Amino acid sequence: MQSIINSIVKNRNLILYLTLSIISFNSLYTNSSVHYNGIGKIATYLSGKSSFFSSSIDSYFNLKEKNKKLIDENLKLKEIELEYKNQIVENKSFNSISIINANVIFNSINKSKNIMVIDKGTNGGVDEEMGVISSKGVIGIIKSVTENYASIISLLNTDLKVNAILKNSSTIGSITWDGLNPKILKLNDIPLSSSIKIGDTIVTGGMSFYFTKGIPIGTISNYDNSSLEGYYEIDISVFNDFSSISNIYVIERTDNDEIKILLND
Amino acid sequence: MIREQLRNIFFYTIILVFQLFVFNHINLVGFITPFIYLIIFIHYKTSYNKTTLIFLGFIVGIIVDLSMQTYGSHTFATITICYLRTWIEKYSFGVNSNLPSAMINGTQLINRLTFFGLIIFIHSLIYYSLVFFNIELFWTIVLNIIINSIITFIVIWLISQLISNK
Repeated sequence: MQSIINSIVKNRNLILYLTLSIISFNSLYTNSSVHYNGIGKIATYLSGKSSFFSSSIDSYFNLKEKNKKLIDENLKLKEIELEYKNQIVENKSFNSISIINANVIFNSINKSKNIMVIDKGTNGGVDEEMGVISSKGVIGIIKSVTENYASIISLLNTDLKVNAILKNSSTIGSITWDGLNPKILKLNDIPLSSSIKIGDTIVTGGMSFYFTKGIPIGTISNYDNSSLEGYYEIDISVFNDFSSISNIYVIERTDNDEIKILLND
Repeated sequence: MIREQLRNIFFYTIILVFQLFVFNHINLVGFITPFIYLIIFIHYKTSYNKTTLIFLGFIVGIIVDLSMQTYGSHTFATITICYLRTWIEKYSFGVNSNLPSAMINGTQLINRLTFFGLIIFIHSLIYYSLVFFNIELFWTIVLNIIINSIITFIVIWLISQLISNK
């Protein structure tokens, strides 16, 4: 306490000077419009700068929440998009698709049978044999599920075969992977009679329990028509970069059970 | 001691009266007004209390502000030179600055010129910057500071010569 008083007494001239300065500035500010505007401008500039700084920090800490909101919004839009495509193709008017969002927690691309693991399981509504897509296109199919996790056979797995069509001509084929280049898939079963060209888009055919029609897969990057079997050998440049997938959507076709009943009959 | 104080107060009053009723109404070339009241802070003895000097600066500044309707520009300029006077003394007079008598008489001319000049220049600098308060008028401010400092300096120098001769 004594030292505080001592320092006040020691710096009394400075304190007095600052106090009287504030009084004279206050008088300028309140009485003169020139100074009112000038000081107002400086104050606005400073408060603008400081609030910009604090809002930047604030928005940084809110990123997680914002991200979640965006993902939720995306999910709804994806649902609407798939529903819309389905309606056009099949002229259906009932709700046959629901979508579940999940994050990838394990991913491999350097084996011949690559799998991914996601952070949603039966508790999150994920079940076996559901299709998995990302914002860019097809990822794979759910292989097995536990309560909180699920594994996916990705397109980069030599065991997986996905029904696909040429977007323009609707010629049906199937997508496989030869286990070599993770950016190139093979499109099989396209007869030499159909016309294709480099750059054509390949989408899902809809003839499976996993995917609805029209989900993008990739574009034709190369083809060979010299095969003796009567089919093209087509290389597909895949839209997804499998090495950097973090957020995926699991598609549930709610009409699968109905279709399966029919097939079993 | 009391006689000396009374004499000082009388001196301040006379100077202020001259400032308010004579020099405030002088407008050489339209914008030059000599601030002769600065002589109060120049002739304030070094042995006197610095805190009192700041108060004196505040009161004189307010009176001049009220008379010129400058709302605080003079006040801020005067309290600033009062606060800075210790450093200005040291800079101008060097080692002799602690001697009470060594102010107007018995000091080198160059020291006195520096002391007068610094006080007047700093005051003008602050005053005109505050009065115009607009960076776009930079050259107008500079012109005002230079010309007014010179005129004020000449007037105050002459008055100082008169006082010290008496």
